[in-house]
Amino acid sequence: MIIVVCRRLCILKGIYPHEPKHKKKVNKGSTAPRTFYLMKDIRFLLHEPIVGKFREYKIFVRKLRKAYAKSEWTGVARLKDNKPVYKLDHIIKERYPTFIDALRDIDDALSMGFMFSTFARTGKCHVQTIQLCRRLTVFLSIKGIYYQAEVLGQVITWLVPYQFAHDHPTDVDYRVMATFTEMYTTLMGFINFRLYHSLNLVYPPKLDTKAELTLKAEDDDDYALDSESYMEEDVEQMEAREKERMEQEAQKKLFEGLKFFLNREVPRESLAFILRCFGAQVSWDKSLCIGGAYDVTDESITHHVVDRPDMDKQYINRYYIQPQWVYDSINAKLCLPVEDYFIGVTLPPHLSPFVEEKDGDYALSVKVTPGKVKTEDRARLEQEQQAEEKRLAIMMMKKKDKYLYDKIMFGKKRKANKLTAKRKAHDDASKPDKKKKAKKQ
Amino acid sequence: MAAARRAKRVARAQPGFMTLNASIKPEDLVGGKRKRINKNKKKNWNKHIDVNDVEDFLEDVRHQERTTGGLISEKTDESLFFLDAGNQKAPTQPVVEPTEGKTGRRKASRPLKVDLILKNSSLVPVPKDVLAYQVPNAKKLRRAAQKAEQLAAIGKRPEKLSQKPSLLPAVEVIAPGGSYNPDFFSHQALLLEAHEVEVKKDKEEQKILRRLAYDKDDRATEETIFQEQVEGLVEEDEEDPDDVDDGCTLGILNLVEKKTEKQRKRERVMKVKEQRRQASRHKTVQYQQLFQLRSIKMSLRQQEQRTKQKQIRRRANQEAEKFMPRRLGKLKFKAQDLEVQLTNELTGSLRTLKPEGSVLKDRFKSLQKRNLIEPRERAKFKPRLKVKYVEKRGVSDGSPICILRTERCSLPLAGQCDSIVLVVVVVLVVVVLVLAAVVVMRDRQE
Repeated sequence: MIIVVCRRLCILKGIYPHEPKHKKKVNKGSTAPRTFYLMKDIRFLLHEPIVGKFREYKIFVRKLRKAYAKSEWTGVARLKDNKPVYKLDHIIKERYPTFIDALRDIDDALSMGFMFSTFARTGKCHVQTIQLCRRLTVFLSIKGIYYQAEVLGQVITWLVPYQFAHDHPTDVDYRVMATFTEMYTTLMGFINFRLYHSLNLVYPPKLDTKAELTLKAEDDDDYALDSESYMEEDVEQMEAREKERMEQEAQKKLFEGLKFFLNREVPRESLAFILRCFGAQVSWDKSLCIGGAYDVTDESITHHVVDRPDMDKQYINRYYIQPQWVYDSINAKLCLPVEDYFIGVTLPPHLSPFVEEKDGDYALSVKVTPGKVKTEDRARLEQEQQAEEKRLAIMMMKKKDKYLYDKIMFGKKRKANKLTAKRKAHDDASKPDKKKKAKKQ
Repeated sequence: MAAARRAKRVARAQPGFMTLNASIKPEDLVGGKRKRINKNKKKNWNKHIDVNDVEDFLEDVRHQERTTGGLISEKTDESLFFLDAGNQKAPTQPVVEPTEGKTGRRKASRPLKVDLILKNSSLVPVPKDVLAYQVPNAKKLRRAAQKAEQLAAIGKRPEKLSQKPSLLPAVEVIAPGGSYNPDFFSHQALLLEAHEVEVKKDKEEQKILRRLAYDKDDRATEETIFQEQVEGLVEEDEEDPDDVDDGCTLGILNLVEKKTEKQRKRERVMKVKEQRRQASRHKTVQYQQLFQLRSIKMSLRQQEQRTKQKQIRRRANQEAEKFMPRRLGKLKFKAQDLEVQLTNELTGSLRTLKPEGSVLKDRFKSLQKRNLIEPRERAKFKPRLKVKYVEKRGVSDGSPICILRTERCSLPLAGQCDSIVLVVVVVLVVVVLVLAAVVVMRDRQE
């Protein structure tokens, strides 16, 4: 079998190359670097029924090529109708015998899925509307948007690229990535099926607004699922868990009752996803995409998410905020003061929720004393900027110049030290005099 | 079947039997001169021996067993015969008219021919099932269970495959300084990291440059070149006398002589002395070690500590290996550059953000880092060396008398080809010149 097909099979089955301990022994005396697979694994691969399907596909390709060459169009049509297809269901069931195993591999799958969905905007992409996320955190980075959610006890982190700016890198092997994605989409299909069924919903869902509204209403069921698994516990643990649950419930209803409208230039999908997770109502301009429930002229809109430097027509009874407000509120688990995020205001820095140590404290301090922090910040910021510039300039100096600079600084320091030493000596000398004087007096 | 064949063979072998087969000569069949066969040989048991009478008897025995369940001669009189003691009218049963079918056939009452053929009407008793009485011992049972297990495990996924090749998390989140609107210190930290990487790279380059550098004073001047060329050419006046050679040869001859008795004795004595010395030394050392116990203990403890540290380090290395990218193919794993935006590139707005790096590349590298695939790069097409056509002038002074075209390619054998071609060309040219000269001379003469 050709090496290409073999590699595809290995990726699908989850057989990875193996680094042997004694390369010379395995490679028959030479130490030339080659890729090795375990014989046992390859033998196991041969039991796979998909191998037969690949052979059929190869034969199909050959026949099709012949038909094309002979210009037998009826034959071509017939062959194309009977194209051999294969399914990966049994492989997924074999690789992930339990649901938890599948959840462990889901972050890779999600990232790949999102990435490929930005390539091909056909119906093939699985739109993930995971409503089971609790403790969702979001981080906007220069690479993309990082999400972290906890599903059934597994912490899942995944990365979603921005919709815009796609430079297709040339040194990525697309065939390999496509094979991985194929496997992961099947896996995601299975997981979605299981999750939707646990919410008593039909999978695959019909993509219309009605279905999405019903999805939101079923959120409460997941709590029942999780609490059932904890049977025996002490009182303390129970109390802690109860407290957590209350917090989570409060967090779930973070944006409850608020109506959002997303302007054209904000990342619509990401914001729609996270706003819906927390109980808000979202809409956007109808010309962008289907699903915009209400229009910009709706009076009951409470928040309008805008990313422009200014906005011409402004309604009075709604807040015009920049998208960072949503993300920061989610990470802080409460609705932050909107004033910091108005249009044209310099935003506070977007902190990463993945830093474990002091994240909570930061949020608290901001909440308690907002005003003070601001005034101090400005002066300090200036100082810091100057210090940064100086440091950068020092770093960028040439070696010769740095040498001179070091010498100068050393000279200055020495002078300063000498002065302080002199002063000290003088003080020590004058101390007994002072004492004498004091004694006298 | 075999018996029939045998019978035919035997019959044909009898004297006086006429066959249509040409191979059997009629002389063999006639009269006294018959081929003598040794009936004790295994080869001849199948042919040339007539066992028909035995076969008939055995067949008869089997027939009796089939039909009557045993040999008739062994049966009792009661089973074979009964005394006919007059007529006793048996109560006649009413004849039941068979219900006729539609077409009047009686097939429903009669059994099928197939069933009749397949029915086993032999009276031979069924033999006892020996296997049912066999009790397998524990070893056999264990072996059978193992075999069953192996058979069941053929199609199952081996457990080792479910282990992940690397314990790294699938998605590694970028540092806080990578936020699109970072806070000052974290951004500086990230910049510092990137700076360190650049410094390291620069150091490597400088190292290489330094190694390549040479001192300008070491350059060759004209003087030194001249000296080198002229070395050894200038004759010096001093010459060594060559009478040392004889003495040397004598000395060499002496070395090869046999060892004398004296020498052997001396050696033996020295050996014994040496051994005794060693023994006494050994004893004193042992005695002294008693007083060195403390230092010995300390050195032992140090050794133990060292081994323990080495063990710890080795275990830590092994643990770290699980997180490292292994060498799985021709290429080494190359980590991607840190994604960081400089201060002047940072814009505080999501709209004007220019994303760094590509998620596709990031995922690809992550797969390589976690040992799921081997590092791959795009196949570069090596430029195949092209064949050049060159005009070659045969004569060294460049006269255009003979111009040949040859191919010059970059294969290693081409050099030889060239030289051969050159030689041939020169020879041809010379011949042509000579001929031309001769012709000219002839013309001149005439």
